[in-house]
Parts: sequence; C-alpha cells; structure tokens
Amino acid sequence: MNWPDIALALCGIIALYAAVRVVLEKDTMRKLPFLNVVSFAISGSIILLIPHPLAIVAAAAYFVGSTLESNAIASKYAGGPKNE
Amino acid sequence: MPADPLHILIAAMVSWVNFVTIDVFFKLPERGGVSGATEIGRHIEEGGGALHGGYMMGNIVSSPDASAGTLLASCGVYAAGIPGGLFAALLVYVGNRICYDPGYAGTTGCITATFIVYGFTLIGFSAAEFIVGMVIAILTIQGISHVHSSRLLSTLWRWRQG
Amino acid sequence: MNEFLMIVFGAMVILGGIATIISRDLFDKLISLGIIVAGIMPFLADRGLLDVLTATALIAPLSTIFILMAIRRRADEP
Repeated sequence: MNWPDIALALCGIIALYAAVRVVLEKDTMRKLPFLNVVSFAISGSIILLIPHPLAIVAAAAYFVGSTLESNAIASKYAGGPKNE
Repeated sequence: MPADPLHILIAAMVSWVNFVTIDVFFKLPERGGVSGATEIGRHIEEGGGALHGGYMMGNIVSSPDASAGTLLASCGVYAAGIPGGLFAALLVYVGNRICYDPGYAGTTGCITATFIVYGFTLIGFSAAEFIVGMVIAILTIQGISHVHSSRLLSTLWRWRQG
Repeated sequence: MNEFLMIVFGAMVILGGIATIISRDLFDKLISLGIIVAGIMPFLADRGLLDVLTATALIAPLSTIFILMAIRRRADEP
C-alpha cells in the first residue's frame, strides 16, 4: 500500500469519520451538521485530486448542491414553506 | 510538495479565526435565516447546547456562508491563483442567491480569504494546506461536540453584542 | 488515487448503503443517500470526469428535492 499526500489522507479520514458520526447520531436534525462536514471534506478532496481550473466549478457545484439538499430536508422537517 | 503538519495546524487556526470573525460580524448567530436553520438551532438546544450557537450552526448548514467562502477561495487559489479565488467568490454569491440568502457573509469571507491565502503562499505555505486546514476548522465547529461548540459560539456572540 | 483513498471512500459508499437500508425514518434515508453521493464524487474526480461530476452534483440534490415534494409533511403525520 502506497500512502497518499498527508493533506489528501486527512480529508479522506475526516470524511469517513463524519460519515460514521452521521450514521451513529439518533436525532435527524443533529445529523445535518455532520453531513455538512462530509461535503466540506469531499469538496476539498475533489480539488486536491485534480488541480484544474474547471474543478473549482465542479467543487462549488457539489458544495452548493449538497447545501441546498440539507436546506430542503431541514425546512421540510420543520414543516416546510407553504408553497411547496 | 509534501504538506507540513505544522503548516496545516497554523492554516487551520487562521481559517478558523477568519470564518468565525466574519460570521459573527455579519450577525449569523442572531436568528435562523430560514426555517430549517431555526429548527436545527432548536434541536441543538434540546440536546444541551446554546440557542444562538445552534442558530449559527444551522445557518452554516443551510446556506454557503464565510466557511464555504474560505474553503472555495483556498480551492481557487490552489487551482488558478488570485483570479480563481475571485471566481470562487462569484460562485459563492450565486450559491447564496439559490439558497434565499443575501450573501454578504459568504462573498466577503471568500474575498478576504483569497488575499489571506495568497499572502501566506508568498511566505512558503501551500494553498493545499489551507484547504485541509479549513476542513479541520469546520470539523472543530460542526463535527466534534455540538454542545461545546454551540456554547463557545454563544459566548462569542455575547461579546459581539457588547 | 491509491489504495488507501480507495478503501476510505469505498467504505463511505458501503456505509451509506447499509445505513439507507436499515434506517426507518424517511429523512434519515435521504441523509444516508447523501453519503453515498458524497462517496462517489472523488472517484469521478480521479478519472478526470469533471463534466460528469458537475452533472451528478446537480442531479442528486434536485432529485432529493422532488422526493421531498412527493412525501407528506411531518406535521400532517398522525
């Protein structure tokens, strides 16, 4: 097994740790901050894996999409805006 | 270029100070921006945390704020230098508009982080260290213990109110 | 990508899949699906498929939003 750069390895370990915390947490709303940590770590991994200018767009699209998903889940759980 | 663990630690502290200062300055802990953020703050308070810190954590979850700005600015500087960082600021602004947020905190955090990260690259740091530093910084807020981090953020919010 | 990262991100996908199957609540299932999508992204990035990555990153949350439109509000549940 050859080891990756320490920055990339840290991103991967943090993503796995946060995913385990998401699965172990019981309360649905308290899962969402851990999911946010997962999306931060994955966005960082995307850029560290492929340092290309277009990767900024890809990482931003993934991050904003994941944020939008969390936002929709949280507002639906809270009762949701009336027009949905 | 292999990353230095000491540099990663310093980068994490710089990113932490940058995004917490800008978030508290733009009054994110005051109230939940959307109904989902309010709900997350209420659940964190039920779990033993503090309410205003919970609101700020809910706001970080439900729209890209200064923490996302710092991460994407480091990504932009890593891939394309200063223009990449400013392009990332534009993307953060678009993302904020999608999530029904005014977008001042995210854009400001992204622009300041661009120049901070570029300044640190001049003295021997790598932008990759700032990317992983920001991941560690968000881990300390959102991923270790919600009770303690929300109490810490509430203390900072009381200082901001004076 | 080397073996260590493959094991880490593959473990995320498998963990998300198991959690999706065994969790009872609908919202918990949707959050676990988010972990699966997160685990796939680095594999796409490593192969250089940035266009596929961007499209997947936009399709997954939009489908989640449509699923959320289709289910009942939590306040309406008995």
